Amino acid sequence: MYKVNSVYTNAGVACRAAMFGLLATVAISGCAEKENPVQAADESATPGDFLVVVNRPNTLHLVDLKQRKVANSCQLPGDFGPATVAMSPDNRVAYVLTNRFENIYGVDVDTCEIRFSARQSQGDERVKSIGSIAVSPDGREVYTHQNPTRLLIDRYEVQPTRIAVFDTAGGLDAKPVRTFVAPRQISIMATGADGTLYLGGRDIYAMNVQTGETRIALASQSVGDPLESPRDSLTVWPIGGVNHEMVRMYSAARFKDASQDMETADYVWGFERIDLATGVAEAKVFGPLEVVLFSGMARPSDPNQFYAALTQLKKFDVASQQELQSVDLEHSYYCVNFSTDGSEVYLAGTFNDIAIYDADSLEKLGNIELPGGDMALANTQVFSRAL
Amino acid sequence: MLNIGKLTRAMSLLALTCSAQVIAEASPPVPSSPREIIVASCSGCHAQNGEGRWFRISDQRKTPEAWQMTLVRMELVHQAKFVDPAGGDSQAALRTLVKYFADTQGLAPAESAPYRYILEQELNTIEQHDTEQFRTMCARCHTGARVALQRRTEDEWRNLVHFHLGQFPTTEYQMMGRDRDWLGLALNEVVPYLNEHFPLQTDAWQQWQSASRHNFEASWRVVGSMPGRGAFSGTMVTAAKGDDHYSVAFNGQFEDGETLEGSGSAVVYTGYEWRASLKLGDTRYRQVLASTSDGGELTGRMFQREHSEWGLRMQAVRDTGQSSVLAVQPGHLRTGSEGSLRIVGTNLKGDVNLGPGLKVLETVSRDKDQVLVRFRAEATAAAGARAIKVGAVELADAITVFGKIDRLAVEPAYAVGRVGGNEGSQPAVQAIFEAIAWGAGDDGQAGTADDLRIGPVTAQWSVAPYTEQAVQDQDLRFAGQMEKDSGVFTPAAAGPNPERKYQTNNAGNLKVIATIEQDGKPMQGDGHLMVTVQRWNNPPIR
Ligand code: HEC
Ligand code: HEC
Repeated sequence: MYKVNSVYTNAGVACRAAMFGLLATVAISGCAEKENPVQAADESATPGDFLVVVNRPNTLHLVDLKQRKVANSCQLPGDFGPATVAMSPDNRVAYVLTNRFENIYGVDVDTCEIRFSARQSQGDERVKSIGSIAVSPDGREVYTHQNPTRLLIDRYEVQPTRIAVFDTAGGLDAKPVRTFVAPRQISIMATGADGTLYLGGRDIYAMNVQTGETRIALASQSVGDPLESPRDSLTVWPIGGVNHEMVRMYSAARFKDASQDMETADYVWGFERIDLATGVAEAKVFGPLEVVLFSGMARPSDPNQFYAALTQLKKFDVASQQELQSVDLEHSYYCVNFSTDGSEVYLAGTFNDIAIYDADSLEKLGNIELPGGDMALANTQVFSRAL
Repeated sequence: MLNIGKLTRAMSLLALTCSAQVIAEASPPVPSSPREIIVASCSGCHAQNGEGRWFRISDQRKTPEAWQMTLVRMELVHQAKFVDPAGGDSQAALRTLVKYFADTQGLAPAESAPYRYILEQELNTIEQHDTEQFRTMCARCHTGARVALQRRTEDEWRNLVHFHLGQFPTTEYQMMGRDRDWLGLALNEVVPYLNEHFPLQTDAWQQWQSASRHNFEASWRVVGSMPGRGAFSGTMVTAAKGDDHYSVAFNGQFEDGETLEGSGSAVVYTGYEWRASLKLGDTRYRQVLASTSDGGELTGRMFQREHSEWGLRMQAVRDTGQSSVLAVQPGHLRTGSEGSLRIVGTNLKGDVNLGPGLKVLETVSRDKDQVLVRFRAEATAAAGARAIKVGAVELADAITVFGKIDRLAVEPAYAVGRVGGNEGSQPAVQAIFEAIAWGAGDDGQAGTADDLRIGPVTAQWSVAPYTEQAVQDQDLRFAGQMEKDSGVFTPAAAGPNPERKYQTNNAGNLKVIATIEQDGKPMQGDGHLMVTVQRWNNPPIR
């Protein structure tokens, strides 16, 4: 176990880490060994909501939402991307999928200590994971969906995709303890309270992580509704944490009748969600498709209100499928999230600022600027800490 | 020249540059044979598979540009080195390999013919695909032509699918990827389709390999036209330097008298693929031409290296001493009008005969390769395309006679411009339009199948928002400028624009309007222009 640098305050620790030689990729210039290591941040100084997100170059930030400031920043090894984050159940360790979609790092968000790491590519097999990482409800296992390719000497050979199960106590060079063949094209994952792993792909699948047995938990593309075009779901943002749900949006055309006439069809936005406490799956249209939106979720305090964003932040009334309100954003934001009480909306992704909006009025409350570069496709995780 | 990015370099290497020649002449190397270079450069990974055959390498055929791209990928992705065991430099070894593969594993003229637009960088071509599946599976990231300009065994098409998904794992997650079992369809449906339509072994290739090869040292008469500039005529003189390499002297002028003159060098691949690199005035040009099977003509496009949107569609005809008529400029005239015509050809002898109803009033000037005449067209002259004659030599469909213009079209009907030029990034890509006049044809109805294409005419140009969204986003204000007299649109600067909503870049969706006046009445035609962001990767085959 060792610490990597907390980028802005803690060069000494980084020097030490680099000298221990555990990770050659820690990039830090000007190591001054005589400098005393400074602890990055008091452990969870304030009670209240926190947000975790990763931006370029490859830095994890713990943001104190009440104080509206970055409480701690941890430089992660390797290159950026996609920077998908899943939290341990105690919200102390962030598991980040990064280094060009290949490595997993479990980072203590308060101390920047790297508690876990796994290099998924091994031997002649290159493994990429697209946004799909989840932690078991007991915090003992971390799951990724793997897209392996064998890089043979004169050709590539794409391998079946699979779920890899890692033991979070597996150390800094963890290897999967189990793997199971899984559907392709999985882009987000979440775990249910009973340990079921949900895989968001062409449908949403549920996998028993002991046996690998997989079933369809929510039929999306395979739903076969004669009054609906095939659904399209674009997401690499696991964001349902504050609602204890897995959620993603889809777009589709709703036909007037079985003739499936595109001319008279209504274009709609819907959401698909799995209640992670009960496993209940639900798909619902929540509004008209008028502009492109990237991510969205229900308001924690009122599941009938659904919020989604890209160039605008929009609020929908799910029951009536009506847009209630819409505001133009200063630039596009890919990733929506909420305070745990549902009073504030946090917009992230794209550039390097988090925009805060009042969930009632959609009035802008402020920005939190992250040191460093853009967040690109990174998701945010929000959680609260009591003292 | 050697400092530009590798992918751009991929293009420039297809034709020798002047500086490379000088080096070659200064220290005559004893170069290794292509096979010796392959053994030294490739066989570490690609094991030999019989005499002169290597795994992966020998079961595919493609254009010189495609070989170039594959070899550059070997270098960039797999760290292959181009090694000449005799000590020659690695760029020369790379050129040797491209030439060798294009010659021995190239495409027959008939195989490349339907897809030359992509080699010629006619980037506003709208492709027609055989099947919707081919379009969505294989022609959404690059053109379908990139695929259709290759021939492979079924195994090699399959390997290519594995390469794609292995190298670009998000392929099956993107739009038109995530809506289907991408890998399953690619392997089980697309690979058999490709193997059926684009197999390694074909009669065309068989025949072409045994067809006779030509020497391209000659004097050539050049005719053509460049959208945005107009009709062109000139000459090209080539001298053989051995091994299908030529020096080129190029000289000609547009109808307004402006000249294009300079020199360069060329390589002929596969017996017919002419690639030249020229410096004309201060501007670098490339020629991508194909020879006819008798070696008598080279046709294709000559475009600016840095601005491939500026290009001359050209035909170069070997001067064999025979008399020939190649073009009339302009290519159309109106009944009841008077004017002048330039007749371009080789060794022109005898009287100009424009056919019934068109009278030659005066021969203004003539030399052996062109005649300038003044004409008068009777009001009763028959409309339509017609042949003309100089002495005994005729050119069919040389000129189109029309009574009046019944409709105006804009070409290309859809074009893409790209923002650029900020902080020395990518230069903006201009969009260049032409107004094409049409007659109603025999049925008197404009817009029907029998309409008569009259040809390009001078127009006044403007742009307008294409959609309501474009109105709201003020695309007209931000996207760039249309030159009123020429139809040339120059996109605005790249990068986020703080003045725009959401700080977006200067993209725009515009209607392009050409206006002419005929007998005191205005007539309009329109096209569609998308101004979009830069492309960072501009390989020779898009
Ligand atoms: C370091 C190993 C290595 C070297 C050296 C190497 N290659 Fe490759 N080559 C590969 C691999 C791996 C692939 C499969 C992945 C790909 O297509 O990029 C490949 C694929 C190819 C293909 C098939 C491409 C396609 O589109 O299907 C060709 C052709 C090829 N190589 C030619 C060459 C030639 C010619 C050389 C020597 C100049 C060379 N390679 C050197 C590793 C190598
Ligand atoms: C996700 C985007 C994408 C899709 C979809 C795609 N391609 Fe490509 N293709 C690429 C890229 C990028 C390259 C350039 C690879 C290089 O050389 O670096 C390429 C290269 C190629 C080449 C040239 C390879 C060589 O070295 O000669 C061929 C041929 C080709 N693709 C065929 C296909 C076919 C067939 C399909 C459908 C099965 C397809 N592509 C689908 C992105 C795509």
